[in-house]
This record gives sequence, C-alpha cells and structure tokens, in this order.
Amino acid sequence: MAAITFDGVTKIFAGKPAVDSLSLHIDDGEFMVLVGPSGCGKTTALRMLAGLEEITTGRLLIGDQVVNNVLPKDRDVAMVFQNYALYPHMSVAQNMGFALKIRGESKDVIRSKVSDAAEILRLTDYLDRRPRALSGGQRQRVAMGRAIVRSPQAFLMDEPLSNLDAKLRVEMRLEIARIQRLLGVATLYVTHDQVEAMTMGDRVAVMRDGQLQQVARPQDLYDRPANDFVAGFIGSPPMNLLRAGVARDGDVTLSIAGQSVTLPERLASPYHLANGEVTFGIRPEDIVVGATGLRARVERCEALGAETLVHLSLNAKGASQHLVAKAGPRTTIVAGDDLAVTFALEHAHFFDVTSGATLRVGS
Amino acid sequence: MKARRLTLSQRRQLAGVVFALPALALVIGLIGVPIGQAVYYSFTQWDGITTTWIGPSTWSQAFHNSDLWTALKNNAALLIWVPVALGLPLAIAVLLHQRVAGWKIFRSIYFLPTAISWVVLGLVAERFFAYQGTLNSIIHAIGLSGVTTNMLGNESTALSALGITFVFTMIGTNTMLFLTGLATLDPSLEEAARIDGAGRWRIFRHITLPHLSRFIQLAFVMTVIALFSALFSLIFVMTGGGPGYATTTMEFLIYQTGFSQGQFGTAALYGLILFAITGVVGIVQLRLIGSDL
Repeated sequence: MAAITFDGVTKIFAGKPAVDSLSLHIDDGEFMVLVGPSGCGKTTALRMLAGLEEITTGRLLIGDQVVNNVLPKDRDVAMVFQNYALYPHMSVAQNMGFALKIRGESKDVIRSKVSDAAEILRLTDYLDRRPRALSGGQRQRVAMGRAIVRSPQAFLMDEPLSNLDAKLRVEMRLEIARIQRLLGVATLYVTHDQVEAMTMGDRVAVMRDGQLQQVARPQDLYDRPANDFVAGFIGSPPMNLLRAGVARDGDVTLSIAGQSVTLPERLASPYHLANGEVTFGIRPEDIVVGATGLRARVERCEALGAETLVHLSLNAKGASQHLVAKAGPRTTIVAGDDLAVTFALEHAHFFDVTSGATLRVGS
Repeated sequence: MKARRLTLSQRRQLAGVVFALPALALVIGLIGVPIGQAVYYSFTQWDGITTTWIGPSTWSQAFHNSDLWTALKNNAALLIWVPVALGLPLAIAVLLHQRVAGWKIFRSIYFLPTAISWVVLGLVAERFFAYQGTLNSIIHAIGLSGVTTNMLGNESTALSALGITFVFTMIGTNTMLFLTGLATLDPSLEEAARIDGAGRWRIFRHITLPHLSRFIQLAFVMTVIALFSALFSLIFVMTGGGPGYATTTMEFLIYQTGFSQGQFGTAALYGLILFAITGVVGIVQLRLIGSDL
C-alpha cells in the first residue's frame, strides 16, 4: 500500500490540455473522490495513474516511485471499470484469480484468495458462473473482487456505479466504502455524481476543464466552496447563485433583482466586500419562505416526498432572478403564489463576478 | 353461414408458409432436383446423351478406382495448409488492429486478392512458380541458383505450390473476418488485462484468442469448404491437375471424369462423395455456430 501523488501532471490531447497541471496527493489508505462534469479530465487523470494514458508533463508517484514510464502491469494498481470489463469467457472465480495467475501464484493460493474475496463480497455462491449469468450488482462486485484479490498498492475506480439502478447504487456505495475502509488501500474514485462524492470520499477533489478547483473534506467543500463552480456543482439542488449589487456603509446593503437586503457588519466581515457587484450564493435550505422579505413569485413546485423544491422568481423593477428554495413535504405553496423570502445570511457566500473565486477572507 | 376465422397464430403461420414458398420452390428446383438427379445418375452409365442403369455396383467400382483415392489423398494433403490460411491472416489482423502506421493501406492490400478472380490469381501464381518465373528469378538474384526448382512441373512440389496459392487467395477473406472479430472486442478488456499484469502475449492468449474463437471456427469451416470445392480455377490454370495426378483434387476429378472422359454417371457419383464431405464440414459449422460456448 502506498500514497499517490500527482505533481503538476498535464495531459495534452490534440493540442488541448485534458488535464492541466494537476497536483493532488492521496494519502495511504485515503479514499479520494475525483468529481466533475463530463469532459473535465477526471477519467483521463485516473487512466494516467493506471498507465493507460501517457503523461505529457509532470510527475506521477506511487509511494516514492515515479511511475511516468512504468507499464500498467508493473504499477501494482487495480482498477474497476465503468462497464466492469469482466472477461466474458471466464467464470467469476477465473476473473477474480486472473491477475494472480498471471503473477504465477499457485492454484491453492489463488483459490484461497479468491475464496476470501468472494466471502467479503458475498459472491461465494456465484464463483462458477460466467459474467453474463450475473445481475448488474453481482458483476459490479466481481469487478471489485478482481481488484481486491490482488492486494494492490492502490484502487482506481472509474464511475463503477453508473450502470446500476438507483437502489442498487445506494447499496453498492456503502459496500464499496465499507470494503475500502476494511482494506485500507489508497483509492482514487472517479464520478460525476456529487452524491457519491459527498458520501464516499474522505476527501473530494473537484475538477473542471482539466483543472483542479478544490480539494477538501466533503462537508468543507459544501460549507466553504472555493469558487462559484464548486458552489454550484456540490449540493442537490445546487446553490443559488444570484447577481447582487453591493453598497457598503457600515452594514452592507445587497441589491438583488431590484430589492434590498441588509447584511450586518458581523456577517459581512468574513468577506472582501467592496462597492460594486458580486455573485451572491445561498443554498436552497437557507431560504426561508414567510410573510416578510423579498417579494417572489412561485413558478413551479416539485414534491419529492420528504421535501418540496419551490422554484421562485425574484422580480422587481424589470429585473428578474431565479432561485430554488426547500419547503416542507406537505407545503400548501402552489405555482402562481406571491410570497416573501428571507435568507439565512450567516450561511451566505460571496464570489467575485469575474473570476468566480470566493471573497472569503483568507481563501 | 359465417366462415370460420383463423386465429392470429394460425394466420401468422399461414403467412410464414406463403412467404417461404417461393424460396422453397427455388431451393427444391435448383438444389434438391439436381441432387436427386445426381443420386440417380450415380447408379448409371451416362455419356451425356444415353443413360444405362447399372445399379449399386457403380459405387463399389468407384471405390476401387485409384484416381479417386489419389484425389482424396491430395485433398487431405492440402488440409495442412488450412492452419497457415488461418494463422497468417490472424497475425496480420492482430497487427493491423494495433493501428500500425499505414494500416488502412495495408488492409486494402491484404484484401486485394479477395477482389480478384481466382483465375487471374492462378495465372499470376503460375508465372510466379514457373521454371523461368519470378520465384526462381529471386532465388537467382540472391545467389542461390543451385536450389532453383520447377515447382509446378515436379510431382513432389506441385501440390505445395497449389497450397501456397490457396493460402494467398484466402488471406483477404480471413483477415477481414478476424479484423471484424477484433473490432467487436471491448478495448476495456485488454486494458483490464494490462492492469492485471498481462503482457502482449498473455493478452492475446487469454483475452483476444478466446474472443475470436467463433470467428476462427467460421474461418476454419469456410477455408476447408473452399479447399474442397473452390480450387478448380486455380488447378485449371496452374497445373491442369498434373503433373500426372499430383494436383488432381476431387472437384477437378469430377470435371475430368465428366467433361474429358464423358463419364457423367461416375462424375455424379464423385460429386456426391464431395457433397458428403463438405456436408459433414457444414454440419460441424452449424453445430459450432449454434453451440453455446
């Protein structure tokens, strides 16, 4: 087992950087989730670590060894593919034992390790089956089994849950996290699903357009996003990002869609807020629908059972901005209602309009 | 009185029969009837005009004919070229699949023999293997004049020259077949194997080859059937079945017996034997393709 270090790693495809100067350290035993939208470079980063893509510049280390020019077979990493990549002509046991067979382990050792892994993954009854005779969840577990029998230096997982239905995905999310903690192997897990990122990772790295945006523990990522992209990407539904005018005179007055909100000095002081414009961020759960506050019209309600998402339009003096609030499960709010909303400003965020970076002091 | 209406299932069955009838009529007319006639003529002496019924003795006499056994032996000897006709295209396909520089050009070149008439290929091969042909010119050029040989004129080498030409004619078809098979191989399987620690050979042995097994089986059957039933044009232009009977295969023997010697009854009998051999290969093919590997 070993730590993993991306040190200024860049990958250029057709003249354009797919991964741009990625620097990321994954501690031994740590579960790191790499998350971002499609095309952000997360899978390319994973494939470079696996040795399936060459590195254009930078250094990639597993433990203390630079592995830029080390073949995949010599890196001692195990990978779980999005489509599982199970060998269709081999049984479950043969799939799981293939790497050990290639390594020249004896049949007894292979049988023993496969049996142990099958027990952890609850696959003992399926060892003689071919992959096509298994359900999606079972195939996923075989792919996991193939990785864990090797006791590798690191686990690499490329969206391994994306082919499963919602219920199974929740189960396997817990299962993978459990196994990873049981084995204590450094893991890089790639996903575009921020729920997986938040629930599984010890830390989460957010990528966009090949560049790393922020690395932090899930709750820190949620509470203190480094920029408006992370703020909008992490959280479901995402943070509301509204254009706001700032007028500073002791307290700060925010002008949102032509309406004014006063931000007390004690809440404004953690931010560099100067007269001008900012991006004001507020999460749906930090919006309170009541009798007083900013005037808003309900455009649509989405009842999710446990809660209701209320889509609102802040509208005054010709300016209009859209935001989403959370209401209770049995709310009486309906589309077309005119309401008033207030913000829990102690949880508000402010970002630079141009760069998108947080205006939090010290960030 | 109201006519009884057919159920949906019966109407579907009826429609199936109606649609199948034209094809069935063609199969019976163009394949079934000639086979039946061949069976009949195999028990006769038929010179193309008059037919005399002989009976089952024609079959026992045929099996005492050394020419038949020579032809069968030649067919069997040519079978040793089947692994080459499969292995060489497999190697080419695997190389092309690596997307080596110029692979599209190479693919077209390898497929070229398939698009050319076997008569033309036979003529080219005849000029290649002839005593004053290209092969001996090359041997001269590299200073090995002592080993020049008349491959087509020599009984011991003519069949090999035919076999090599056959391999050449099959390269395109089999290469394309294997390339198709390789195109259906999920690249992530190879990547998974690489990460599992496998090198090129082990990936080929444990991942690629098992994936291609169906394609190899199909290529094997097609190649064997071609060997038994499609060599006529090559033999006709390269050797004429000689020297002696050195390159006379079953299908060439049928031609010689029927059209050179005018013994159409015996030729029909030989045709049935060849039909039985290729039939067995065909059944094996169906079994393999239909089997659950």
